[in-house]
Amino acid sequence: MHYYIIDQGNLPVEKFEKLQTELSGLLAEFKISGEIARVTPLRTVAELVDTASQRGAKTLIACGSDDTFNLMLAALKGRDFTLGFIPFDDNSTLAKILGISDVFVGIKTIAGRRVEKIDLAKISGNYFISFLEFGVMSQQLKDASTWQILKLLSTEAKAFQIRIDDSYNVTISGLGGLVANIRLTSDRNEKIANPTDGNLDLIIIERLGKMQILTHKQDIAEGSLEKLPKTTIIKCKKIEFLEPRGLPLTMLGRVVAKFPSVVEIIPQRLRLIVGKNRTF
Amino acid sequence: MEKMLDSDLNAPAETVVGPSVKIQGDLNSEGNIKIEGMVNGKVKTSQSVFIVPGAKITADVLAGNAVIGGEILGNIKISGHLVLQGTAKISGDITCSVLRVEDGAQFSGKCTMGNGGTAPVSNGTGKRKPELEPEE
Repeated sequence: MHYYIIDQGNLPVEKFEKLQTELSGLLAEFKISGEIARVTPLRTVAELVDTASQRGAKTLIACGSDDTFNLMLAALKGRDFTLGFIPFDDNSTLAKILGISDVFVGIKTIAGRRVEKIDLAKISGNYFISFLEFGVMSQQLKDASTWQILKLLSTEAKAFQIRIDDSYNVTISGLGGLVANIRLTSDRNEKIANPTDGNLDLIIIERLGKMQILTHKQDIAEGSLEKLPKTTIIKCKKIEFLEPRGLPLTMLGRVVAKFPSVVEIIPQRLRLIVGKNRTF
Repeated sequence: MEKMLDSDLNAPAETVVGPSVKIQGDLNSEGNIKIEGMVNGKVKTSQSVFIVPGAKITADVLAGNAVIGGEILGNIKISGHLVLQGTAKISGDITCSVLRVEDGAQFSGKCTMGNGGTAPVSNGTGKRKPELEPEE
């Protein structure tokens, strides 16, 4: 049975109701109806996941924003579901990664049921499938102007201390970076941010000269940090962020943890319904 | 051999240790490794290792192929091709199948080559010592 968790999030009521009507119609048309439950202040995503489990649902579909999906992921608690996503938000990063552009494509994808087993990343009891950012990368570089990027990437480097795979310690004077399982540019370089390789990719950038920043502005905006000079890339299964203490780790602009923190990968843990145009 | 090395050099490294990075401990990888910083610990991969000029490794290096332009204080064990660039400084023993040493490379240690690698190579120049004449 399919269990649809519908979340209004920050959407205006009118837009949300329109999307909900469209969704109901398409579910009937594609014959993938199931139970539909709406998130309210009294029924959180976590509670709805519990309800789905009690009712014996095998497929959980988050309908809403990236946050809805991430909250659903965090509420799984090791239970075995196949997951899907239908975006209500035009700027959803997850939708782009999964190759689901809108509600119609989302429903079509669920009906087609192309399931991929992908790695699941874990940080401080929370789960994620995409990427975390820290240092300057947390500061919305993607939407920044050239002048803002120049200013941000010219700041003093921080001394990071990171332990990898319980095997070695990395000390680096860098500006920031990301921990990627999947990212928007995953298809450009299959070896980095491949969600089926059982590894995380830690990418850290160092301080750059103004010319280097201008030359690589596009790569910075796209998050293709490996194309920048002096970038460190480490493929691993476990990352312990040790120093500087208190530095936030963010997911899509939301702080999910602070240094010290541990990020781990659980290989092939998640069954995810994906679109034809996914990035991995 | 040059063709093989050129294609290897252009292959993207899965692990890149940047110039300001210091690693303390054993660095193990399943893919290519490029080192521009410092490593105090073993470097191990079944693929290729590129140690660029300015990089420094204080421990053993075990890899499939290696191109070395930096400094290594430790033993190097390569199952395939090893290239010592003109900027390389090696203090330790080398084991490899095929060796190329460029002008200017400094090497202090013992070299064992080939399958089972029993033929010793003189220091620095990379030239083989002449085989001993059989006693009459």
